[in-house]
Amino acid sequence: MMSTLLQQIINGIVLGHAYALVAIGWTLLLGVARLVNFGHGQMYMLGAFVTWWAVAKAGVPYGLALPIAMLVGALFGFVMQRVMLKATLEQNLVSIMIMTLGFGYVLNGGASMIFGSTGQILETALSGQDINLGELWLTWQDAAIVVAAIVVFITLKWILDGTSLGRLVRMVAEDPKLAMLAGVNVRWVYYGVFAFEGAAVAFAAGMVAPRTPILTSMGFDEVIMTFVVVVLGGIGSVTGSYVAGVALGLFTALFGALVSPAYTTAAAFLVLIAVLVLRPRGLGAGSAAGVH
Amino acid sequence: MSRPILEVRDLQVSYAGNRALDLASLAVGAGEVVGVVGANGAGKSTLVNGIAGWSRGAPRVTGEIRLGDVRVDARSTHRRVREGLVLVPEGRVAFGQMTVEDNLCAAFTAPSAPGRRVYSRDEIFELFPRLQERRHHLGHQLSGGERQMLGIGRALMMGPRVLLLDEPSIGLAPKMVTQVLQTLRTLAESGLAILLVEQNVRAAIEVVDRLLLLERGRKVLEGPASEVGDDPRIAEAYLGATAA
Repeated sequence: MMSTLLQQIINGIVLGHAYALVAIGWTLLLGVARLVNFGHGQMYMLGAFVTWWAVAKAGVPYGLALPIAMLVGALFGFVMQRVMLKATLEQNLVSIMIMTLGFGYVLNGGASMIFGSTGQILETALSGQDINLGELWLTWQDAAIVVAAIVVFITLKWILDGTSLGRLVRMVAEDPKLAMLAGVNVRWVYYGVFAFEGAAVAFAAGMVAPRTPILTSMGFDEVIMTFVVVVLGGIGSVTGSYVAGVALGLFTALFGALVSPAYTTAAAFLVLIAVLVLRPRGLGAGSAAGVH
Repeated sequence: MSRPILEVRDLQVSYAGNRALDLASLAVGAGEVVGVVGANGAGKSTLVNGIAGWSRGAPRVTGEIRLGDVRVDARSTHRRVREGLVLVPEGRVAFGQMTVEDNLCAAFTAPSAPGRRVYSRDEIFELFPRLQERRHHLGHQLSGGERQMLGIGRALMMGPRVLLLDEPSIGLAPKMVTQVLQTLRTLAESGLAILLVEQNVRAAIEVVDRLLLLERGRKVLEGPASEVGDDPRIAEAYLGATAA
């Protein structure tokens, strides 16, 4: 029983870091540009399939397939933002919601045309190798996800708080109009943030997707869980979304093992609602507006 | 006066079809301080915002704006700023979530050119010692006067050729008003062109070379401060502003 519990905690930590890693792009998007992206899940799917295609079909090594997927993701994010720019500058959230949802459907359709609708397995050099700790185990891919998530979060936090690029991003996050008067090209910051969202979710997909079979229709489940992480973390808070991701991962793993895996999504939403009632600005609240 | 640094012709601004400003011409030369006065809603903010190509709303702006020899009216706000046409807007002029130091980091490196003095952060601290004392405080922890200094400080670090200021004295203690306006006068003496929107006409008259009176979006009076300062229409606008 004890080792089952420990195993579930390990699973939860891996799953949590996967959630956090998948959510990082949207977190920045929400924090900086006050934007939602309901095409996020399909961008995850695209990242997974580009990685799979590069590895399985083109014979590219996994380490090179990841940057290729990120490039495709970044380009897609840039194009999406280019199309939506007017709505972004006007902060027309309803239009953006519908447009990103639409982009998601287009991606979904396009991907099943290109990649077919059968499931695929994305195998990497790391995903087949186990780490055994007595009765407990995880794969090297799982370990890599945890490390990658921590590195990405620390790097992003450092860029935001400690570099001049981060300062520009924080200026736009707090007051885009005032940032214009400080000589900031606000459009390019928006393009950059959306390209980052695309690259980050593609990277996350390339890391996380080897854990399960991939399908071109898997976007919607991803977008829902990511949305929970981002909102739970406190709209746009980088630290908050890391904490929320890990917490949600542990909750899902333990709830699935101790209660029932069938109701984990429903239970996760109950927790989300409870948190939003008690702490309306999420777990990362206290740092009010802006990205932290 | 030599060729003006800022030249505006036929500037028209409208919000949702309502004309808020219709100005045939305006020129500001190097080292000159021009004051814009008028009652509430006369179009003073609309004028300086229109010149900067900036607004918190979504106005329609047409007209010719020249900065030196260059037409800038087709350029986006941040490009005008980079050319040296710098606005310190009314109200929020500092980033509340950033420290004073971070607020005083220019987003770009302004070229030092004739007629373009780029201030360093240390020079800003010399100009406003209060900011140095509070360098690690966040923008939202500052008083209104300190925030105004921060706004002016950031503007100077971008090497302005023309400085547009919208109500820098709003909410300031009378002593601070004098300090801020005197600072502007000193800056102009080093060659900076300043267009100053001010409701506090009595204080403005002390530092401006010329006054421009706006009424319902139109220029009704313009002249040297010493000549038009006593015009009853100026006093009227002033009283109107006080009553509002």
